[in-house]
Amino acid sequence: MIKYFTCIISGIWNLAKGLFVTLKNVFVKPVTLQYPTQKLEMTQRYRGLVDLYPEKCIKCGQCVKICPTACLDLSVKAGEGADKKKEFGHFKYNMELCCFCGLCEQVCPTQAIYMNKIYEIAVYEHGKLHIDLLDKDKYDEWANPDVK
Amino acid sequence: MDDTSLKEDIGTEEFWVNMGPQHPSTHGVLRLELKLSGETVVDGIVHIGYLHRSMEKIAENRTYTQFIPFTDRLDYLASMNNNLAYVLAVEKLMGIEVSDRAKYIRVIMAELGRIASHLFGITTFVQDLGAFATPLFYGMREREKIVELFDDVCGQRLTYNYMRVGGVSRDLPNGADGKIKGIIKYLRPKFDDLEALFNSNPIFTARTRGVGVLTASKAVNYGVTGPNLRASGVKWDLRKDEPYLCYDKFTFDIPVGNNGDAWDRYKVRMDEMRQSLRIAEQAVLGLPEGDPTVKAGRIFRPEPGETYMRSENPRGELGFYIVSDGSPIPFRMKIRSPSFSNIAVLPDLIRGLKIADAVCVLGSLDVVMGEIDR
Ligand code: SF4
Ligand code: SF4
Repeated sequence: MIKYFTCIISGIWNLAKGLFVTLKNVFVKPVTLQYPTQKLEMTQRYRGLVDLYPEKCIKCGQCVKICPTACLDLSVKAGEGADKKKEFGHFKYNMELCCFCGLCEQVCPTQAIYMNKIYEIAVYEHGKLHIDLLDKDKYDEWANPDVK
Repeated sequence: MDDTSLKEDIGTEEFWVNMGPQHPSTHGVLRLELKLSGETVVDGIVHIGYLHRSMEKIAENRTYTQFIPFTDRLDYLASMNNNLAYVLAVEKLMGIEVSDRAKYIRVIMAELGRIASHLFGITTFVQDLGAFATPLFYGMREREKIVELFDDVCGQRLTYNYMRVGGVSRDLPNGADGKIKGIIKYLRPKFDDLEALFNSNPIFTARTRGVGVLTASKAVNYGVTGPNLRASGVKWDLRKDEPYLCYDKFTFDIPVGNNGDAWDRYKVRMDEMRQSLRIAEQAVLGLPEGDPTVKAGRIFRPEPGETYMRSENPRGELGFYIVSDGSPIPFRMKIRSPSFSNIAVLPDLIRGLKIADAVCVLGSLDVVMGEIDR
């Protein structure tokens, strides 16, 4: 009988202790954001989608070689100018396979390939995941989802 | 008619029930086949393999650097620690020395990763026992601080790919050590708050004390490691017993339990988080100068040979056994994952318990399917 009552009393005491902890948290600022209207700013090193500055690229192919999921595809042809400077055939990025590891970005000797800050990367069409890195406005639609 | 035959006459029939693979309390895709007699578990069979991705085979087709992002996906709640265990193994194979700063940064990252993982483990465990949402959200909020730091340092929130063979991929950003100190200061009182919620809560204590007792000898025989082993009273922690990196330079205690029940497993994790804070604090105060980074593009060609290296992950000993034939890709890699051995004791522990207690035992073992199935 005594045990019964001590149980009840200790239960109430611990309930009060627990409520005190929650009470302390009632007055702190919320840590969440109202997502679609408020958006989090990505950190400086954030690894979003892979992007390219074509003019910086020296076509060395190191990024293609290190990619663990083989999602970059680069082809190079000899240029038509007098110096036979290498030119892009194509530079494709298969976002379906990319694991956002950032190795391509880290291995590039000229920082030509980099990862942008786009994080809303869901699409309706499968084909949109196959991206041509040489296309200038490939990510316009992704960066501003409201643009139809 | 004697008593026993009467019981048999009116007794319920035993039956098999599938718990999972889509059960909220299985932390992933674990299928438990339970033989029940009414509410009581008579036997249990663990079915694994739903998350199998052939990690070991993938490793045989990737260079040593290329495999680091894949280790993120083993125990996805402690990616930093997996990265660390893997690069330690490759470094041992290659005989590479790491700079002091890289060692300290690795220790800080590993200990913060341990806290993040334990916070998740404890709060989801408590949620399994019916404490809906409140502790889990508190735990997530504290964990968020650590995840934000990792995001600052390496650019991702879950799959960090931060460690490199020979160092780390990037140095800490400016002001990161102040931030780490801030996190340590912020977290200390929060652990007290969490303990105030659980420690003397009569429902939590009644549900966990004496439930799923794992004896020390059984734990050792099954190869259980990590907090689950220490909760059974075995003081075995690789950070102390086989120090790697610079763990021998720090003072910290190894919390151990007495009974090996679900309560002890919770308590050991709780105490371990405080010890991790201690280590991280000492490491950040003694952070040496230097350049911890290495070039990502380097191709490693280890001498033909083999090596095994293990390190203390939040869930136990994660080991990598690598065989090299002198080429840039491993000839064979075997991953010894802690959760795989930890879940092996589950059928033994739940025999004779009620089905709700089986959920409690599973939650207290804190397994992650990603590294069981690999
Ligand atoms: S982020 Fe990783 S997976 Fe994606 S393209 Fe770069 S190297 Fe390949
Ligand atoms: S590593 Fe950089 S420079 Fe070389 S091909 Fe890739 S993007 Fe171009």
